[in-house]
Amino acid sequence: MSSSVAAPYRGPADTFEQSQPAAAGGRSEQSLLFALPKGRLAQDSLFFLARAGLSIPTGTESRKLILPAADGSTGFVMSKPRDVPTYVEHGAADLGICGLDVLRETDRAVYEPLLLPFGHCRLSVAGPADGAAVPPGESGDSDDLAVKPASSSNLPGTPLRYMSQPRIATEYPRLTRRFFAERGVNAEIITLGGSVELGPILGLSDLIVDVVQTGTTLRMNGLVEIRTILESQAALVVNRASYQLKAAEINRIVERMRLLTT
Amino acid sequence: MNGHVPFGVADYFWDEASSRQSLLDHLMETFRGWGYGDVIPPMFEFDSTLSAQYDDRLRSGMYRFLDRDGSTLSLRPEFTTSVARLVGARLHDRPMPQRFCYGGSVFRYLEPQAGRQREFWQVGGELIGAPSPAADAEILALTATALKAAGLKGFRLIVGHIGYYRSLLEALALSPQQTEQLQWALERKSEPILDDFLRDTPLRTGQRQAVETLPQMVGGNVDGILSLAERHIQNRGMHAALQNLRRIVDALLGYDILDSLIIDLTEIRNLGYYTGISFEAIAPGLGTAVASGGRYDDLVGRFGPSQPAVGAALGVDRLLVAQRQDGAEGRRRQAALALPHGDPDALAQVQKLRQAGLHIQVDVNNRTVDSAIAYAAETDVRDVLVWEDGFQHHRRNGQGDFVPLGQLDESRLPGWTEARREEPSK
Repeated sequence: MSSSVAAPYRGPADTFEQSQPAAAGGRSEQSLLFALPKGRLAQDSLFFLARAGLSIPTGTESRKLILPAADGSTGFVMSKPRDVPTYVEHGAADLGICGLDVLRETDRAVYEPLLLPFGHCRLSVAGPADGAAVPPGESGDSDDLAVKPASSSNLPGTPLRYMSQPRIATEYPRLTRRFFAERGVNAEIITLGGSVELGPILGLSDLIVDVVQTGTTLRMNGLVEIRTILESQAALVVNRASYQLKAAEINRIVERMRLLTT
Repeated sequence: MNGHVPFGVADYFWDEASSRQSLLDHLMETFRGWGYGDVIPPMFEFDSTLSAQYDDRLRSGMYRFLDRDGSTLSLRPEFTTSVARLVGARLHDRPMPQRFCYGGSVFRYLEPQAGRQREFWQVGGELIGAPSPAADAEILALTATALKAAGLKGFRLIVGHIGYYRSLLEALALSPQQTEQLQWALERKSEPILDDFLRDTPLRTGQRQAVETLPQMVGGNVDGILSLAERHIQNRGMHAALQNLRRIVDALLGYDILDSLIIDLTEIRNLGYYTGISFEAIAPGLGTAVASGGRYDDLVGRFGPSQPAVGAALGVDRLLVAQRQDGAEGRRRQAALALPHGDPDALAQVQKLRQAGLHIQVDVNNRTVDSAIAYAAETDVRDVLVWEDGFQHHRRNGQGDFVPLGQLDESRLPGWTEARREEPSK
């Protein structure tokens, strides 16, 4: 039992590092499990792992839930992006990749040693551009549907605190509530599972808070960005226990990824 | 009456209840074996007593309610503060040190986590009135021993020292925002946030190096890490913290737990009242800590004469998860079922057997032998005793059929005597 503890000593000034093959061999029976997000970040994550020289699974299209890496050293779970921090916090996965937006929203007790150079986007507050709150062609009869607050019509310059109780549709209730609470605004948060741009169109909400990459989706729906809540990008997250118990393997991965991020 | 229970609490029954109870007993027995005496603090206390030294996270996770006279009460979120109050306010003139152990449920209004409800169980001990590294070492070693007694394998004790970080903060003289950023970087072990901090914060070279090297102050090479940390000392407090850690490690030599030790000088998440070492125990397959503890020299003094103190608490719920993952969970044998058929001699005989330590339930439903055997089969009872001028013993065999063994032989029944025989071999 004692021989399996490699000194998880980190950093370039490391003079105490034990030889990695010995350390890895000591617990080959507990190889690492890596949680990767399905969807937007999936391809970038795999591409990045490959560039970092890590063995990645072949055929991620398979229906198997746990995919072994080509060399068998690591298992991969493709999970819903929101579930990555949960898996990692509970130790169901040793480490994972997820967006900073998801990481801050879910607020899980995990380590986050590195930001990764992909998945850049921002979490923004957006509202209807002047006179564009309703889709063309319906403008006639939906004026009473889309209740536009007076303060959201002249957007970017207006302090949010002038809005008495804005209704905000979002997939990020925690970050949204905090952002508005910090400005003294008691926002009414409407949590949706997707397509939040519909909120202002349908009169469900005054504003939305959502992830923006290029802004095309917003423009197509007659919305403009008002504020940025968070600049996001992909992050590596690590389970707190695994970080110590599997220090040698995890440090090897962090080390390789760091080479690509600095 | 819909028969539901509120979110965050649970019923435990059958094997789950008995393995829970016996793990608690077993852990308590470990603490008693080291001279810790039982203490049973109240389930709720004045909120001002319990919450004064907690950080915001734990304080917001307390169950509070009003007493009928209007004072605010809280359900205990842990035991340490109650024990500190007891010693500080009432037992302060007794000889020191005083050792106490406890076990029971605590309450936190937090998201239920792996194997842990909002009501969950702790077993722990507090060693009050000893400032020496030997006391810290005892608590560390006792925690490790108790974890081993619970059957936990491959665990590690992650040991930090809040004095190192607090003294570094003193030396750096940061603004609250800068402190928060540094703390966030360390809590999340985030290199990018630490880089941001270093970029945004003007520091002298020595101070900068002390912060830059913090991420390296983590690992199993205890001596190497302490030596490295010693090269970045900025003030007397950091020096004292490291010296204290070294002495504690030295004091651990006889205990055979050094292999399980990991130093992490950046581990600064804690209850808020720690003043010296603080530690957590982690184990493979469990994402979160199974035990935690540390030194709290300022807590007892809030309630009376100040006393140094150190203690630890183990999470019974998580240990049970670990046992289940291991498949090590022992099935408790059901008591034998006796059919006295209304004969007073039979009951007298049952009483004798019970006094000898055997577990026996008596049929009070007037069952026939067939019906009793059917009941026994469904409820996992292995032994059925039928009174026919003395008990006839029927035992279920591997195929699930009950076979008569003839006249009762006491040594074959489940009970304390058997438990006692098994005990030393553990």
